[in-house]
Amino acid sequence: MRRLQSLWTAALALGLSARALAEPVTAKGLGLPPDASADGYRIDELIHETVIFIAVMFGIMVVWMLLAAILHGRKHEAFYTHVTRRGQIVSLVVIGVLVAADADLYIDTMRDMSEVFWNFAPVDADPNAIKIEIDAHQWAWSARYAGPDGKFNTPDDVVTLNDIRAPVGAPVIFEITSTDVIHSLYFPNFRVKMDAMPGMVNHLWLRPKETGEYEVGCAQHCGINHYKMRALFTVLPEADYQRWLREASANAERAYDPADTVAHWGWDWTNPRPIEGDQPPLPKAATARAAGAAHEEGI
Amino acid sequence: MDIQPIHPPPTSFWRRYVFSTDHKYIAKQFLWAGLIFLALGGSLAMMIRWQWAYPGQPMPIYGSLFLRKSGGIITPALYPSIFTMHGLIMIFFAITPILIGAFGNLTIPLMIGARDMAFPTLNMLSFWTFLVSQALMIAAFFVKMGAASAGWTTYPPLSDSIGTPGWGQTLAVMAIFVTGVATIMGGINYITTVIRCRAPGMTWGRLPLTVWGMWLTAILNVLFVPVLGSGGLLLLLDRLFGTQFFIAGASAVNGGGDPLVFQHLFWIFGHPEVYILILPAWGIMCDLLSFFSRKPSYFYKGSVGAMVAVTLLSAIVYGHHMYVTGMAPLLGKGFMTFTVMISVPAEVLFLNWLQTMWKGSIRLETPMLWTMGTVFVFGLGGLTGLFLAIVSMDLYLHDTMFVVGHFHLTMAAASFMASMAGIYFWFPKMFGRQLNQTLGKIHFWFSMIFIPLVFGGQLLAGYSGQQRRLFDPYQYTFLRHLQPLNQWTSYFAFILGAAQLVFVYNFVVSVFAGKKASDNPWEVGTLDWDTPSPPPYHNFDVVPHVQRGPHELGDPAVKKALGRDWIGQWEEMPGEKSGQAAPKLAEAH
Repeated sequence: MRRLQSLWTAALALGLSARALAEPVTAKGLGLPPDASADGYRIDELIHETVIFIAVMFGIMVVWMLLAAILHGRKHEAFYTHVTRRGQIVSLVVIGVLVAADADLYIDTMRDMSEVFWNFAPVDADPNAIKIEIDAHQWAWSARYAGPDGKFNTPDDVVTLNDIRAPVGAPVIFEITSTDVIHSLYFPNFRVKMDAMPGMVNHLWLRPKETGEYEVGCAQHCGINHYKMRALFTVLPEADYQRWLREASANAERAYDPADTVAHWGWDWTNPRPIEGDQPPLPKAATARAAGAAHEEGI
Repeated sequence: MDIQPIHPPPTSFWRRYVFSTDHKYIAKQFLWAGLIFLALGGSLAMMIRWQWAYPGQPMPIYGSLFLRKSGGIITPALYPSIFTMHGLIMIFFAITPILIGAFGNLTIPLMIGARDMAFPTLNMLSFWTFLVSQALMIAAFFVKMGAASAGWTTYPPLSDSIGTPGWGQTLAVMAIFVTGVATIMGGINYITTVIRCRAPGMTWGRLPLTVWGMWLTAILNVLFVPVLGSGGLLLLLDRLFGTQFFIAGASAVNGGGDPLVFQHLFWIFGHPEVYILILPAWGIMCDLLSFFSRKPSYFYKGSVGAMVAVTLLSAIVYGHHMYVTGMAPLLGKGFMTFTVMISVPAEVLFLNWLQTMWKGSIRLETPMLWTMGTVFVFGLGGLTGLFLAIVSMDLYLHDTMFVVGHFHLTMAAASFMASMAGIYFWFPKMFGRQLNQTLGKIHFWFSMIFIPLVFGGQLLAGYSGQQRRLFDPYQYTFLRHLQPLNQWTSYFAFILGAAQLVFVYNFVVSVFAGKKASDNPWEVGTLDWDTPSPPPYHNFDVVPHVQRGPHELGDPAVKKALGRDWIGQWEEMPGEKSGQAAPKLAEAH
């Protein structure tokens, strides 16, 4: 039965995805892959800050150790002490700097998580948000769009295999589950991932800022072909996306088979629970983009 | 403290060389068992590195030895078994027996002035139970459908009988359960011994920091290994008897269970496990840095406090392994808060190490080099942990090679280098002979240079987005340009692996034909060096009366009175006995 469904979705996907056969965005050199998310700069900035911070700290540690080994070698008379006031002050200052840096990262990440990455309710309420259900299974990603009726698990649903599409600029929210084992939906160019757990529906959202084709990977070991569990995420101009969705939905309705119950794996959109009281409104993508651009210019 | 009688050594062959209850002999048994598995786990690592450099190409040497059926190629079905067995073997069957089994057994009674462990028979049982678990692990390689392949974390449903059928996975889970039993036996023994069997005058404030590390590790083991055991047992029930504790999704009938529960059970143990492996290393580092800097360990109380704080906090940070499992935001942020907090005691320890070395009279002997190497790699490993503790960065870096690089630097490289420091340091006491110091230094420099290159390469691959556990990373277009990086990392790993042969040679030759060691070759004052090398069956002819702390090095008064820069914990200062200037002595009684 599983094979039947896979064939069906694969055929559909092939028919629809001539565009997806082009090479996805590649990365050059070592470092973070190109950032295609309106909010990716938040994570990249923290990563860059932390790299500088730990490089400085590590440098101090190594120099300290080397100096001790060179200056205070075998010929140096050991200074007998269990603890000194000056030493304690030095330790306190260093720990103070470390705690301040930790606190800075901590405050930034708390803000980003509350306002953006774990702030699902405003995205869910946004009429422009693209809602996609993901069913992970060994070893592919099935995606389901509600179609014009806005309801999941109906004949006009668009179902694709390893082919996720969204318009540029709009928030995209995923409800993710798995049929068999644990997988992890990973968007390297968008800096986010979320586990697909059997028996659970997890949420993830992102905001594409540029059109293009981006790879989607599985990040959780899920068996022999884990390494082949690869999908494409295509970010289209709004009009192209609408045209594709319309045509795909019409095709889906034509091919709908009420007897093929295995193909009807969708579920009613569950809506992420608001967990922490008031959820702040989302920061505007436009300002986020400006900030991201400012960052790229090296500010 | 209790009076410890002298038992005569056993005369029968079996009681002496096989089922020995002598803690020093059991320490050697653990050391050999651990080193053999270290070699095995290391060999598996070489296979993984080959795979990432040249996926799908026949492997030289190994291919013709072990992979004849597939023409020397690592197949997609074999590959998960290799990394799963590598992880399990290294953590539970190599580092644990060496660091805790061997050094715990050797140092605790000797350093606290005891004639043996509190429960010598339990100690023997602990080793033999451990050996059974190793046998189960080896058996897993030879069953139909291959060895365990669900990853060392054995997450269900993949590790259930549908996700990973066959006896290989079952045997590996059984092995973890059995090794857990052995660990608990050892842990109870260590805890009791430190509490009950200290020599007169050995107060808590005079314990060598190695003993503090071992003792806290034993407490963590006894508290959290049972949690892993319960998770493993439920998983075995799922695999063998059709229960559904952890099964959900298509293979679940009658509602099924919850795979996430296993992750909670696993990481409630799994995060303390990280500290279980590093606390003994920290203790050894504190002591050795002091011994070879010829200076007391800086801020002893601070080091003890930091280790105790880490022990307490380690139980409430485990959720940072599960940020992307769909964890409730409030829980995720709570776990992040504790995780960031645990960095403070670790910083205290680092600063104490650096301050101990400062203004010392550093002797760059082999054990000291290894200890300084440990500070280096653990520093790098600890600092990279910051990326993974902070939730938003973890969204990107979770389950990438960055995590692999990070935990190899902390758990693997730091524990390995501290183990080596311990082996080079206590080898004279264990075997009565010295390891060759020149070979030891060659071994050190190769390891020191290539360990950061290997695991730094992994950090960089993860930073560039590469997921962990990929049979062929270059299936992804965005990872294709990382192949040269991975190839260089692999070359470094092969050199690192080959350099370990220097140690194997040095170790084996020195055990049988090394230079005879003196009783106290490093000139330090802890009680283990108050015994002959190797010590007699009962350790101490007369149980010493402890006079002072473990790190009395470089004291000018001692130098004046004794003409050397150290004084033993057991020694009385000339003149102290007569009652003049004897505050230390008064404190001892």
